[in-house]
Amino acid sequence: MARFQNIVGTENCIFEADQLVAYECDALPHLRARPGLVVLPKSREEVVQVVKLAYSAGLPIVPRGSGTGLSGGALPVEGCLLLGLSRMRRIIDIDLDNQRMRVEPGVVNLDISKRLAPHGYYYAPDPSSAQICSIGGNVAENSGGAHCLKYGFTTHHVLGAELVLADGSVVTLGGAVLDAPGYDLRGALVGSEGTLGVVTEVTLRICRFPETTRTLLATFPSTTEAGNAVSLIIASGILPAAIEMMDKMAIDAVRNVMGGAWPEVGAVLLMDVDGTQGEVEHTAERASELCLQAGALELRRPKDAAERDAMWRGRKSAFTAMGRLSPNYIVQDGVIPRSQIARVLSEIARLAEHWGVRVANVFHAGDGNLHPLVLYDASVPEEAERAERCSGEIVRLCVSSGGSITGEHGVGLDKAAYMGEMFSETDLETMNWLRCSFDPETRFNPGKVFPTPRLCGDRPGRYVPHSTEVSGQIGRG
Amino acid sequence: MTAISSSPPSARASILGVPAAEAYEPSSVSACAELFARAAERKLRLGIIGGGSALGVGNPPTGLDAVVFTRKLERVVEYAPEDQVIVVEAGLTLGRLQALARQNGQWLGVDAPHAGTATLGGLVAIGGFGPRRARYGAIRDLLLGVTLVRADGAVARGGGKVVKNVAGFDLPKVVAGSLGSLGLIAEVTLRLHPLPELSATFRTPGLEPRGVVQAMLALRRAQLEPSSVVALLADGGRFELGVRLEGFRQGVERDGARLAELAELRGESGPERLAEEAAASFWQRSDGPRTNCSLRVRVNALPTQLPEVQRWIEPLLAALEGGRFLWYATLGIGFIAGDPGAPPQVVAALNSARSAAAAAGGALVVDAAPSVVRAEFDAWGPKPSAFAIMRELKQRFDPEGRLNPGRYVGGL
Repeated sequence: MARFQNIVGTENCIFEADQLVAYECDALPHLRARPGLVVLPKSREEVVQVVKLAYSAGLPIVPRGSGTGLSGGALPVEGCLLLGLSRMRRIIDIDLDNQRMRVEPGVVNLDISKRLAPHGYYYAPDPSSAQICSIGGNVAENSGGAHCLKYGFTTHHVLGAELVLADGSVVTLGGAVLDAPGYDLRGALVGSEGTLGVVTEVTLRICRFPETTRTLLATFPSTTEAGNAVSLIIASGILPAAIEMMDKMAIDAVRNVMGGAWPEVGAVLLMDVDGTQGEVEHTAERASELCLQAGALELRRPKDAAERDAMWRGRKSAFTAMGRLSPNYIVQDGVIPRSQIARVLSEIARLAEHWGVRVANVFHAGDGNLHPLVLYDASVPEEAERAERCSGEIVRLCVSSGGSITGEHGVGLDKAAYMGEMFSETDLETMNWLRCSFDPETRFNPGKVFPTPRLCGDRPGRYVPHSTEVSGQIGRG
Repeated sequence: MTAISSSPPSARASILGVPAAEAYEPSSVSACAELFARAAERKLRLGIIGGGSALGVGNPPTGLDAVVFTRKLERVVEYAPEDQVIVVEAGLTLGRLQALARQNGQWLGVDAPHAGTATLGGLVAIGGFGPRRARYGAIRDLLLGVTLVRADGAVARGGGKVVKNVAGFDLPKVVAGSLGSLGLIAEVTLRLHPLPELSATFRTPGLEPRGVVQAMLALRRAQLEPSSVVALLADGGRFELGVRLEGFRQGVERDGARLAELAELRGESGPERLAEEAAASFWQRSDGPRTNCSLRVRVNALPTQLPEVQRWIEPLLAALEGGRFLWYATLGIGFIAGDPGAPPQVVAALNSARSAAAAAGGALVVDAAPSVVRAEFDAWGPKPSAFAIMRELKQRFDPEGRLNPGRYVGGL
């Protein structure tokens, strides 16, 4: 203990039980474990020393960013060293001409875009928790967001990283210049969920603002017509920046929170098309026509930025808004091929009926990334169990439809047990080779991502809104 | 065993002058797996050849017992146009994939040279890309999933068949650019994009290197979104800039009018919008430094570093016969090609260009070279910072070092 305090200072070491409680979980609070201590380094040098000391003491290390993850990725291992990176918040440099930026891992996602906005640039990946989640956490989870349909995920925007390995050595993966010779270890790092090392610096690709963005909200009698509209728009050759869908239950929940502007309809599509003025005039009009052709009831175009923000805030607050409809709910995150949205949604409805629970749907329709919200009341005997069974069946449905067990929330501990549904033993073994090449003694985040006998049959997570969500600071999805 | 046809070793059963006694043409993934399992028992060193259009990449292997041709792995496994995703076997050529996608108003955003012969597996193995990388990324960015036949003959899948997926480690990213050193890429799943309605190419001759950078920045300032921006060094030391706008007709026409007003794109007499045929010939010409000549190297730097890059490579261009230089302006990637008349001077110039690039955080790698140059010049250059992890990775995937031995970075 004293030796850790010597490295980072007494004020940056937490080991008293009442203070450790705050670090027992990330945003999946039903999974909890008590870390041995929490260390909050302020520089790469401190990280190196802390990691070396933990290594010699045989302590497992769990890195943590802002703790907003939804899969238990930053869940401590009992007695571990929890390495919180939120005090490493420097923006190291910005190179606008080359569209590059170097930051420390604790920098908050949205702060990057805020910093760049006066220059006409932004950072593209936009998880709904952007107001609080950190870049280091985004790298760990390969975070997505509504606008990733057109612009890609974290992996497409991280060009390089500096990584501290288990023995305290520091390596550079990728960099500001493209195509560094050798295996794409940068690509391996992004989405590795804190299992390879501690990221101490990230080189990002930053984007120029599009000339114009048009937002369109279209209402439909049901998700079937809305799903058809998505198919028509994509088939027409338009690549919208984002297309989000909400079903009736999700819209009702948002209306409860946001007020009467949200219509009483069966489904809503919220869409951004962006690009040059000439392009967008065409695509916005064409997308509107296609919505009407698919059976849209009404098209709404925000009259100003404030109204546009309100539309997007409504969408991003949908997870939290569920709290008004149901005392408890599980946030699911699965992916299906876009063309199967209508079929899978009706299957989900059938599952909900079978298990006697309600399921609301709010999701990234453009890339088929579903977020079914399984509502239940924990005070009703066996309802929690039925909700969990239903949620699990939804994940399996995604896999059997040719999709994935997670589109953006990660595997963490929550979905480790489902990895075997999607991957064979050989696939998992091969992935593990990748991990072992970085961290042969599995010192970093042990027990995550891979299914182990200990985790078999583990239950999917109930969703409890993060405190910042409750306060309306951040949204979800 | 019918699926594995063993043909007598032909002259083509060699990689960079290193011959193999045996050659195989498996025609299914399971046949590949069986072949690799048997090769593991016999401890055969294996080279893998797709379309053979990028065999100059990397160093000569330290020795080969057998070559595996993937050209009979040419099935389209699955194509769901409505999902804009396609699963194909590795030996399918880029040209055939594009022809199929085109029937559905789609394409793969990878316009690498040699489309007629280059295979998708080969393009993944070299991390391929063309000028449209400026918009769509390289093949690694569009690679959603991969099926890898491992050195031990087991078949491993990574990634998935959907655009968005974060389940497990990103095996496709590591396989992309690994040059067959981790296993045989047997199947690939790729994201497709809609075909643009209209493509327009604008040409500006007579730009200084600094002018090319200014033009690239002016396009961005104007919020134009070209799908390609390339600069080709012309006689007299000036660059010819080519900018391609693609999208819906109305957008391209209006963006083209705005582009024409940019002072930075005026040059000597530009920008001139090329007619369809002239545009096609411009883009074909711009592929020249990536396809012609016996020596071809690639320089990676930052997009604004073109003036520096030109200084680094000046002695090299001078030492080459018919030296050419192509620059992908938004990416910071340069291609130098020529024929080495006097190899010692060429090697000296290569070494000095590589040192300069490395000092600036970049790199210089070989795409093709005659053996006299190879003997004196490593294809990859200094070992990367994370080489120890790369060596470890190679050892876990290929513990006996039998796959393309010695061809990859640092002798892996």
